[in-house]
Amino acid sequence: MRLISLVFVLILVVSCIKDKPKPVPLSGVLSNGVVVLCEGLFQQNNTSLSWVGNDGSISNTLFATKSGRQLGDTGNDIKRYGAKVYVVVNVSSTVEVIDANTFNPIKQISMQSGGVPKQPRSIDFYNGKAYVTCYDGYVDVIDTVSLAVIERIPVGLNPEGLTVSGSKLYVSNSGGLNTPVMDSTLSVIDLNSNTEIQKITVGLNPGRCITDDEGDVYVVARGDYAGVSSKMIRINTVSDNVVNSFDLGVSGITKMNDKFLISNYDFSSGQSSLALFDPVLDVVVNSSYIDVSGFTTLYGVGFNPYTNTLFISDAMGFTNSGYVYEYSSLGTQISSAHVGLNPSKFLFYE
Amino acid sequence: MRRFYRMAKCLYIFIVLLCFHVRGQVDSIQIIRQVNVSTFMALLKEKSYNLVIDREDIETLQPTDIGDLLRKTPGANLKSYGGLGGLKTISMRGLGANHSSMVVDGVPLNNSQTGQVNLGQLIVDNVEQLTSSIGLNSNFLIPVSAQISGSNFMIKTMENSFSSDTLTIRANFGYGSFGQTKGYIGVKFNPNKFFVSAFGSRQQAEGNYNYSIVNGCFPLNETRKNNNYLDHNYGVSGGVKLKKGTWKIGYHRKSIRQELPGAVIYYNETADEKLETDSDRLFTDFKWRANKLYARVFFNGTIEKQRYFDPTYLNVAGQIDNTYTNRNLNGGVSFMRYFRQWSMFGGVEETVSDLVVNDSLFAKPIRLHTYAMLGVRYNHPLFCLTGQASSQYVYEQDKNGGDSKERVRFNPFLSLKTRELGEGLQLELWYRNSFRVPSFNELYYTNIGNVNLLPEDAHQINMGFLWLLQGDKFNFDLKSNIFVNHVKNKIVAVPTKNLFIWSMQNVGRTNTFGGELKLEAKYKTRNHWAFVLNTNYTYQKTVDVTDPSSPTYLHQIAYIPEHTVNTDLTLMFRRTGVRISNYVVSKRYALNENILANELEGFFLMDASIFHTFKVGSSQSLKLIGNVKNALNSSYAYIRSYIMPGINYSISLSYAFN
Repeated sequence: MRLISLVFVLILVVSCIKDKPKPVPLSGVLSNGVVVLCEGLFQQNNTSLSWVGNDGSISNTLFATKSGRQLGDTGNDIKRYGAKVYVVVNVSSTVEVIDANTFNPIKQISMQSGGVPKQPRSIDFYNGKAYVTCYDGYVDVIDTVSLAVIERIPVGLNPEGLTVSGSKLYVSNSGGLNTPVMDSTLSVIDLNSNTEIQKITVGLNPGRCITDDEGDVYVVARGDYAGVSSKMIRINTVSDNVVNSFDLGVSGITKMNDKFLISNYDFSSGQSSLALFDPVLDVVVNSSYIDVSGFTTLYGVGFNPYTNTLFISDAMGFTNSGYVYEYSSLGTQISSAHVGLNPSKFLFYE
Repeated sequence: MRRFYRMAKCLYIFIVLLCFHVRGQVDSIQIIRQVNVSTFMALLKEKSYNLVIDREDIETLQPTDIGDLLRKTPGANLKSYGGLGGLKTISMRGLGANHSSMVVDGVPLNNSQTGQVNLGQLIVDNVEQLTSSIGLNSNFLIPVSAQISGSNFMIKTMENSFSSDTLTIRANFGYGSFGQTKGYIGVKFNPNKFFVSAFGSRQQAEGNYNYSIVNGCFPLNETRKNNNYLDHNYGVSGGVKLKKGTWKIGYHRKSIRQELPGAVIYYNETADEKLETDSDRLFTDFKWRANKLYARVFFNGTIEKQRYFDPTYLNVAGQIDNTYTNRNLNGGVSFMRYFRQWSMFGGVEETVSDLVVNDSLFAKPIRLHTYAMLGVRYNHPLFCLTGQASSQYVYEQDKNGGDSKERVRFNPFLSLKTRELGEGLQLELWYRNSFRVPSFNELYYTNIGNVNLLPEDAHQINMGFLWLLQGDKFNFDLKSNIFVNHVKNKIVAVPTKNLFIWSMQNVGRTNTFGGELKLEAKYKTRNHWAFVLNTNYTYQKTVDVTDPSSPTYLHQIAYIPEHTVNTDLTLMFRRTGVRISNYVVSKRYALNENILANELEGFFLMDASIFHTFKVGSSQSLKLIGNVKNALNSSYAYIRSYIMPGINYSISLSYAFN
């Protein structure tokens, strides 16, 4: 009985004296490390940014520490353009603009249209403009000086990935919210007029897009996770035609110098793989470039051009805090870091 | 306000310590010696380990729904998504909510679509008594499905029971915060041989409520919108006393129109989803007695239609408009036969249910679920030994062409209960094996369902004691339980295709160790003062034991608090009273990984009510009740991002004739 009383009193006393965390002073410039976007989980408001320094330092509350608030719900993309970093937060329907050096927040852009969240997904840049795919069927154009949405370009259903090649923007229309009748097209947008000029049929449920050194675009068609398998498609950006198709288990493509890293997590078997692909020869050079068979859930892949190392994240089944592993280009593990929930994207600092 | 909040917490510590101190004094002066054995034996017959909440409690507590009441049960863990009519479920001792059954007037409420009853949609106005039972339920004529489930909750209503008065009237009218208005009236005419009754209720609320939340370092005071709510409940019942039994029949209709506020998402306050629920239930119940044989037959048919509407979904149609029709036909037979020191009991029950959805992709499942149970009880002067064996057979077919499934389970239950040990002490030891079948949603919901799911198995072991004292002015009732549970094939949702596509899997094993302590004390003075203390404490350590290499191995399961405390204090002078109701929940985790980022703060809720009863003659009473909920304006959530209301008020007037 005394023990129960003691336990009870302790609970209440602890809850009495607990205070909210205070913001730390906004100072310091980021260098020699990587910012990791940890997506968090739907309806948990727990998107976070982790800082992993080359010296082994780790902070899993980078944004919260700098801003004194949370990023929001389900972050999907992070990229740098000039002196600013842009973080796309899907369920909160915002784009956070952050000073790239100090990481102090600059502006939060609300992504709503007529009171309906646009659900932004991915971002890319061209000629002073940020282009953001929005799940409501548009690509929003944000002026990177005024940080305001200045135009909306209609595309296909639930646009997801995007990439710039020359003066054209390629946008994958996933149709992911219209299961099982998903979209299969890639919209081609003329960046001079900001209008869609063509739709290319690439395969069911297209997602990640990337541009190679020759200017050609590669897109991942993820299939329906059941009868229709995933594949990678190459688009000639001069003729805007499909020129090659690769039946690969593929969930993501990451550029590493002049090569691609093809990552795949097979949901049915729980197996992860990371292959090296040569876009010049259009062949898989090494189907097991890095041994990731011990990963629980291979999720994000990044290449640090300043250290010439690979960063690979394990989402640990999506419901546990994740890990980021750094590998040399020869495939030797250099370091690891325990980060936030669902680490997916990387932003490297020299 | 924060200072006041801390002061209130300190006051609460003092009160709880005082309770334990009083209990120590009771120990030391050994009041128990004053209780004669015959009184004690009489009490044993009346009292049990069950939690019983009667009409008087309900009137003074002014709960919004049944879920609000059941959170007071030791071992109960409430999950509430907020909002009037919002999803509320109770899980007992770390078992999922689907392991509990709800029985209204002896007839089970069925919902094979979700596998659980939304307690937020059950009205309390017509409830005469609510009993929460885990372990042995000595009413062997309840439906077999309830008798063999992990735990059961039984509701007795005014309009569907025989009473000693020819005319009974109940009425209740209330007005509260968030534009809430409600009214209920029930009338029962009960001459000697039969009764007929009818009731109707209406509840409406604008529903939008203010809440406070802290985003990092910034306190936010926001309004949870899209919360409009309107419900109608009505029904008629009748019953006849036969030569050797009774026969009852009734019909209830429920109609709810509600908006769904959804989760509180930072920087995105939009919410526009709607839910419409229409339910019709027809039930009949026949009880029969011949010498030492008691038997009962019941039938129950329910059609529940739910329409979910999301007007801004980003698909081709630009919306989701799905209607789910769940039909359940249920019937059963139970019996009990007394011998000299033995008694035998048992029964069978059959449920046929299906689900029809206006979505061609959704399965069209139909399920036959058969329950059978046979048990014996041996009554020794010093103890009572009860054993029962039950079996369940489930056959399921997807009318869209999916494979049919068969599942069979045998579930034993064993209980040893002492009559008396020492002076005024009773011990109980029981083991129960139960299981629950996956719901239609878990099996067939588009993208989420998994047709290969196995039933979830639960093993429970409980050791408890009950200690009763009674004097002229003083009643004392102390109950305690220690329990160990193991669940295997736990059904959990895990992401299977990508971050947004989750599916149900049998991946979990959990172990639970816990204890409950419940104290009821009543004290009356000769100058019309009365003091009632009702408190319980639950400790639950429910941990994941699925995979030793997992980061969540031996971590506390999400949303199960280790500590829960309920303390109700009532002070009465003649017909006027004050009731302070306190509820403490310790920290929980939003995910199974017990790290700081997943932590949900514990909370302390204090509700207070003041009431006065006006007596009109010997048979009529009028009760005026003022109620403040969340009096300390705590910011709290049962589920992360589903923030509950701050301080709110209500006033109500209850009328009773007999």
